[in-house]
Parts: sequence; C-alpha cells; structure tokens
Amino acid sequence: MRISDVTRLSWDQVKRRKVVTGLCAAGISIGCAAIIVAMSIGESAQLYIEKQMNSYLNMDEITVTANSGPQTGGTASEAATDSTMQGKLTEQKLNIMKQMQHVAAASPYQQLNYMEMFTLDGMSSQYQTEVIGTDLEMLTAFGNIFIQGGPSNMEDAIVLNYGATLGLIEEETKAKLQEQLNADPYNEAVIQQYENTGKMPSVMYQKQIQFRYETEGGPVFSRPLRVIGVLKKPSGSSDVQLMYNKKGYVSLQTAARLKKDLKLAEDDQETYQSIIVKVDNQSKLEKVEKQIQKLSVTTQTNLYQKERLANEFKIIIIKAAALGIGVFILIIASISIVVAMTMSTYQRRRQIGIMKVLGANLGQIRNMFIVEAALLGLLGGLLGVLFSYWIVWGINGLIHQLSDEQDAVIIFIPLMTIPIGMAFALATGILSGIYPAISASRTDALTAIKRD
Amino acid sequence: MLRVEQLSHSFTNGIETTAVLHQISFQVQKGEMIALLGSSGSGKSTLLNLMAGLMKPTEGDIFIAGQNIVKMNENQLAEFRRSHIGFIFQAYELIANLTVRENVELPLVFQSVHPAARKKKALALLEQVGIPEKAEMFTSQLSGGQQQRVSIARSLITEPSVIFADEPTGNLDTKTEEEIIMILQQLNKTMDTTFIVVTHEQEVAARTEKIVTLRDGYLVTEQDQKRKQTHAGGLFHEN
Repeated sequence: MRISDVTRLSWDQVKRRKVVTGLCAAGISIGCAAIIVAMSIGESAQLYIEKQMNSYLNMDEITVTANSGPQTGGTASEAATDSTMQGKLTEQKLNIMKQMQHVAAASPYQQLNYMEMFTLDGMSSQYQTEVIGTDLEMLTAFGNIFIQGGPSNMEDAIVLNYGATLGLIEEETKAKLQEQLNADPYNEAVIQQYENTGKMPSVMYQKQIQFRYETEGGPVFSRPLRVIGVLKKPSGSSDVQLMYNKKGYVSLQTAARLKKDLKLAEDDQETYQSIIVKVDNQSKLEKVEKQIQKLSVTTQTNLYQKERLANEFKIIIIKAAALGIGVFILIIASISIVVAMTMSTYQRRRQIGIMKVLGANLGQIRNMFIVEAALLGLLGGLLGVLFSYWIVWGINGLIHQLSDEQDAVIIFIPLMTIPIGMAFALATGILSGIYPAISASRTDALTAIKRD
Repeated sequence: MLRVEQLSHSFTNGIETTAVLHQISFQVQKGEMIALLGSSGSGKSTLLNLMAGLMKPTEGDIFIAGQNIVKMNENQLAEFRRSHIGFIFQAYELIANLTVRENVELPLVFQSVHPAARKKKALALLEQVGIPEKAEMFTSQLSGGQQQRVSIARSLITEPSVIFADEPTGNLDTKTEEEIIMILQQLNKTMDTTFIVVTHEQEVAARTEKIVTLRDGYLVTEQDQKRKQTHAGGLFHEN
C-alpha cells in the first residue's frame, strides 16, 4: 500500500470524526504546549541569569595586571632590552594582546579611586563615582554605547556611564536628606525619599563637573572636567541596580593630571596599572588567558563565578521538572487517544471487515490506524505550538504588569523547543495508536458480510 | 476453476455442536455463472464464507485457481482474496467518505497500484456498469441500484478469478433487480469471469447457467441450465 494512500485514507477518517479528532488533538496539544512552555521558561531563565552575570561580572573579560613576583631566566642586559620578559605591563605587551586570536579589544585600565562628584552649578551625587583612566576610543569596543557625545582627544574631558547620571541633587537638599536620615535612620518615608532621589536621572552631557577626594589633610578638589559623552544604560539592569554603579572614564593623560590634583600615588609613566582584554567568545576565554600568561603577567577572570552561580540556580532541575510535567500531561492525553481510537475501532469494525474482504492484510489495517494516530499527534503538536506562543504571550504580559522593572525576565520560545515538542506529540500519537491498531487488524472480516 | 471437495462445517457453542454443512462437493468451470440457491438456514451463506476464505471448514478442501485455500493463513488468504476474489454484497458495503471512483479503486489501493493506472481502470469499469457520470460523487448521493453497480465495478477491478455475489438483488426493487442481473450476465459473457450468486430467489437463480440447491446443509440438486441436466446425490441425469 502506498504511503500517500495510507495517509489519505487516515486523514479522511481524522476529518470525518471531528469530535474524536478535536478531543484527542486538544489533549495532545496541552501536553505539547506544556513541554514547549516549560522548556522555554528554563531556557529564558538560563539566558537571563547569564545576561545578569555578564552584566555584573563581565564574564568575557580578562583583567591583566603586572606580575610583581620574581623574574626568571635571561641576563640583565636581555631583560633591559626585551621588555616582554619583565612582569610590567608595557605598550608593547598591550599591542601583542590586541593581535591575539579571539581578542575583541584590549585597553589600559587605571582605577583612580571612588570620589564624590558634583557639578559646577551646585548639584552633587548621592553616591561616590569611580574614576577610571583608559583609552576612551576603546569604550565602544567593550560593548558600551554612547547615547550622547563620543570619545575625544580633548584635554580634561570625561565620559560618564548611565549610573553616574543618576541621583544628582542640590547640595542643600542632599545635606537636608542626610540630616533627616541621621536623625531617624529607620524612617521608611525618608529612606524611600533618599532612594528615589538616588535614581533620579540628570542631563549631564556637556556639563562641567569636579571631584572631591578626602585626604588626611582634608578634602582636595580635582580640576573641572567637561562631560563629553554619556553611555547607554546596559540592558537587563534596573535603575536601582545602576544607581550604585557610577563610573567616569577619562583619558590616561587626564588620569595622570587628576592624580596630581588629588594627591594620589603616581604610576610609572612607561607602564600600565592594568589592562582589560575582551574576548569575542566566552568559550575562548581560558585559551586567551593562557596565551596572555605567557607574557609573564598576572591574569584574572570571573569564570569561576559561572560554575558557582550555575550550581546555585540549578537550571537543569527547573528544566527537568518542567519537562516531567509536560510528559505527564502527554501520558494522560495518550490514554484519551487509546480510549477514543479503541472506540473508533469498534465503531468501524464493519468498514475494517470490508477492507479485509477486499484484500487488506493485517499490516495494512494496522498501518492505517497508526498513521491516523500519528496524524492526531501531529495535529495536536501544531495546535500545541500555537498554544505555547499564546501562553508565553500571556505570561510575558503578566510579568510586565506585575513588575515595575523595564527589563523584567521575558520568556521567549527557543526555536529548538518546537521540534522537541512536536516530536513528543507525534510519539504520543504513534504509541497511543499501537494498541487500537492491533485491535483493528484483528477484527474478524466476517462481521463485514454478516447481516443483522 | 473452483472445486469444493467433501466440505463439512459445524458450529460449537461449547456444549453442543451443530452441523451446518454436510459433505458438500461440486465444481464450477471458468467463466460459468452459478447460483447457490436455498432458503434461510440452508447453509448457503456459510458455504459462501468458506469459499471466500473468511471461515475455516471443519472438514474438506476448497480449490480456487488450483490453490487449496483451506491450508492458507490469514495473510496468505488476504493476498489471495486481493488478486483472485471479488465480492458483491447485498447491502453494497461502500465506504461513505470515499467517492464512487475511490470506492471502485479501493482493492487496487491494497495492491499498491499507481493512482493514475487505477483511476483509468475504475473509470472504464464505471462506464461498463453504466454510471460513468457518477465517478466523483459520494455514494450517499446514489440510488440503491447505482450503489450496487459501484459494488459490481469494485468487484471486477482486480480482474478476479471468481466473484461471489451475496444476495446482490436482495435490497432492490424488481426493475432494478432485472437491470443488475442483466449487468452481471453481460459482464460474465464479456469478461469471462466466474460468478457465484447466492440467492434465495428462484427467479434470480433461473437466470444463471447452473443452480446448486442446498437444504438443511445438504447439497440437494445441481442443475445445469444449459444442458438441462439435473444431478442429485452425485450423478447427472437428462431431464
């Protein structure tokens, strides 16, 4: 019997028996949708956690610092001529790192310190800002996006991240709030007000700012700096998280001048304090790290955090539990198919008998019923895919309604879950069809020609 | 062509055994059209079922086209029926969700014949039984007589060695009955197909070439209409 004929005859039955088809397909579709939605929730949660981890821990970056340990090998003259043999971070080493395979960007990185930032028009930041000396041209290579301005060679210029633009209030208001908080540290209303002002955004582009740094001899002030650029808010982070993450990026030359102004310890002008290396693929991080270590420098990554967090979140358990629920629903659905198809076999025994009299053998009758069950599974699977999109749409809507965060977890359906869901639905159909198919093939042909 | 030898059959309900056929023997030549005549309970339907391989006899053998179908298993019988046997039912037994043409093609579907080839054959047969214009209609749109014509066309599509017609006119009015008998006679002549017609009506049996009469499970007479010979108890004698 040709496959096209078996399929056509089976499809005719599926179309003809609308109620049975509807019930069976509905059962399978619920199970299939449960599997797809469950797997999607697992995948979405995993991606969300990875995104969060990358946002906080910069999992694709290597921090390279000078190696202060004892140096090995080579003579004094060799060491003097070949700076790569020394533990210091030189420009030559920076260039070597930039040329390495899988290195997306490498830039010097000098942390000055955390300081109080205020504008020349009397606004002051609630929390301290970290000032970093780096190559401003490389900021975009590290995944930063300018929403205002851009890198420039201008002297005494600064680029602020999104967090640094939050929580700038008038000095007087700030002092008053501080006073209230000190007087009544458990007053919810004051705490709330303090937090709300902390995430209030300000337009900082082209403003002039200054830093105040507390030393043993009293506060010292930096030279005025002009804000030449503001970076975009990182996706997946809320304002509450970012209001504590304030950064200001200056060129290495400006950093050197600020150190002088603020009486900070000055570095060797020929070398860098540290270099940040960004790799193009997180899986290549270890490989690149090993290559960098060959330059006699110290490296540090946050890769170990990934395993720690993965253990904490146990995504695999969430996925397995979700899959289990889906499979359980499919088993229930399969019982309904077995019952419906067995009843259908009984109702159609006369037709089966006629087919046997006309020459259909056991295998052909069996195949017709199995294909019919498979078609029910396929139909249920297709409906299940539609349902799953509908359910995910509903869940996302609910998340948006319940969460005030713009970047709340959004569930998406990964493409690979659709064939998995469909395969489960099809398998349920086929497995459920086996018993009714065998039962149908055993129908006595005589029933066809018996007259009541 | 078809030979029945010492065929006996009995049913048992676990307590007692009821014999329904006793030592039946007869043969049918290729291209013959015979009637199995008998009243209700005479055993004619049981004999038909046995000859069609739908039941196994208690004793005896049935040879069709030289093969003993009693020795065959279910799948071999299905294979044999597919190529050697055609059926015409009293209640037509057409499949409602298939069109007239698809119903006629059905036996060839089980033989994996190419759709184009079976369509051509089905249309030719529908032409022969006089309803070519009904090919794409559903069977529920046809009259009883037309449905029986479809059933006849379906029985012929595999070019079987023998066609069993079980009370083919039982559900029809007299005029339609006449038409169907004429079609069967015509096809018997033109296609040289053997027909075995089971009937309880003397008028229908009289239109065949030979009448095998059953009574209470015994073969009573075997009457050759052409040669006007009647055989009782195993011997023919001139009328």
